[in-house]
Amino acid sequence: MTALLEIEGLCVAYGGLRALQDVSLSVAAGQFVTVVGPNGAGKSTLFKTISGVVRPTAGRIRFQGNDLLALSASRRAHLGIAHVPEGRQVFKTLTVRENLEMGAYPESGRAQWTRTLERIHTLFPVLAERATQLAGTLSGGEQQMVAIGRGLASAPKVLMLDEPSMGLAPAVADTIFERISQIHREDGVTILLVEQRAVEALELSDHGYVLETGQVVLDGPYETLLADDRVRRSYLGLSDA
Amino acid sequence: MGLEILIENVLNALAAGITIGCIYGLMCIGLGLIFGIMKVVNFAQGELLMLGMFASLYLVTGGGVLAFLGPFVGPFVGAILAGPIVFVGGALLHKALIARVSGLRTAGTLDEGHFGQLIVTLGISLILQNGGLILFGSTPLTVRTPLASRAFEIGPVYGDATVFLNKARLIACAVAIITAVGLWLLLEYTRLGKALRAAADNPTAATYMGIDVERAYRIAFGLGSGITAIAGGLMATYLSFSPFIGLDYVIIMYSGVVLGGMGSILGAFWGGLTVGFVQQCSALVLPPQLQNAAIFVVFLLIVMLRPQGLFGRSAERA
Repeated sequence: MTALLEIEGLCVAYGGLRALQDVSLSVAAGQFVTVVGPNGAGKSTLFKTISGVVRPTAGRIRFQGNDLLALSASRRAHLGIAHVPEGRQVFKTLTVRENLEMGAYPESGRAQWTRTLERIHTLFPVLAERATQLAGTLSGGEQQMVAIGRGLASAPKVLMLDEPSMGLAPAVADTIFERISQIHREDGVTILLVEQRAVEALELSDHGYVLETGQVVLDGPYETLLADDRVRRSYLGLSDA
Repeated sequence: MGLEILIENVLNALAAGITIGCIYGLMCIGLGLIFGIMKVVNFAQGELLMLGMFASLYLVTGGGVLAFLGPFVGPFVGAILAGPIVFVGGALLHKALIARVSGLRTAGTLDEGHFGQLIVTLGISLILQNGGLILFGSTPLTVRTPLASRAFEIGPVYGDATVFLNKARLIACAVAIITAVGLWLLLEYTRLGKALRAAADNPTAATYMGIDVERAYRIAFGLGSGITAIAGGLMATYLSFSPFIGLDYVIIMYSGVVLGGMGSILGAFWGGLTVGFVQQCSALVLPPQLQNAAIFVVFLLIVMLRPQGLFGRSAERA
């Protein structure tokens, strides 16, 4: 399998504070990869470095063979990387429809706009109902749907989701997970997910990484992670018995 | 007899209020884009207005390239062309200075870059005022058009009471409305306009969408500069100006933008219209020195009763 996204020896520092240390990670086309870890482990930093809003001090990021670090942040979205950021970050003063249109800003998104919009409305029918409403007036769950829809609108090769269940009622979070899984299975979009709800996230994924204080401490398929006692106790909330 | 005079005065004040108000509305839209939407504090906005006036003046009068258009059409074409000229100036100013204190660089910081913007734009304002003094001199000037001393007469509507519509102001008012509607359509319906609003709303998320935020801010700043400059060019046809005229108008622009409600282009236009209207109508009852005081009394009243502005909408979920 050839890697779609390949990260090697990535180091990021905020001032003197090291946020990521020698992180290597690989995502193959069509894979569902999850990164779990406690707060402050550097999960969001990892995503921001891939998107380009944070610059690494060392390491390489390659996407389909292109050196991402040589590109400005805004150019990276045009390659087919969609980032659904932590805390949703919808355009509050734009309507739901305009938010989705902005997702389709890259050429690939514009070319397939009618089809993707239909798909987004199938996945999240509420977005069709609320098309003309300002995104800032929606509930948290609906805003998360806007954020995911906006990511999908660019017809991305890889969809990066940063804690999509954060701050949502469990039932809403379940729906969101189901949709993400659907996007992966039915649309064949490669998924890179960061999540605190590790059980649900890892169950869906082909491969998982455990990130602690800026370092990858463990990686492997769900079964491997499940077999690790530390992971079972810390992230999966399962006892040994 | 007394009633006729009163009616004539009131009707003429209303007519002047609406025509001048529309031009103020356009002027406020420029700041509305920069301050209301992009959230960049710009104290040099009055100087952009002044540059619009001088750009129009030098295009139209003397050996200016538009001198062949004559005194009837020239001043208005000059005003419109002042827009693109100051647009370029504004965009360069943004690239060189404003970009350092706005946009992505300050997104998420404690003051969102406002302190830096305050100092930088005040400095730019001072440089432009005094630079203008060196280049243009301090003699009050005006872009002469014979239309400024001609008027359409409506009436007599009641007895001898007649409404006079100054031709220069009427044309300026029409140009202002057309420009304002054009900008509104651009922001509301084009891909570029939506990208500008998205970049202003959330610069980081806009970057994730593939929008070049720095460029979006530069275009928005240029547009805001150019729009105010067009208003300046229009005003230059009916009032005399010098390099320090910006001082008088920057406060009017801010009150218009805040009155209309931050973040709305239409609101900024209505805010400017309200300010112009109040200013002209107050002339009926107040001495000219108190006209600007009247603006602020109305301003305070509106802000007390409708803190979100006349047309502001609250986008945040409570």
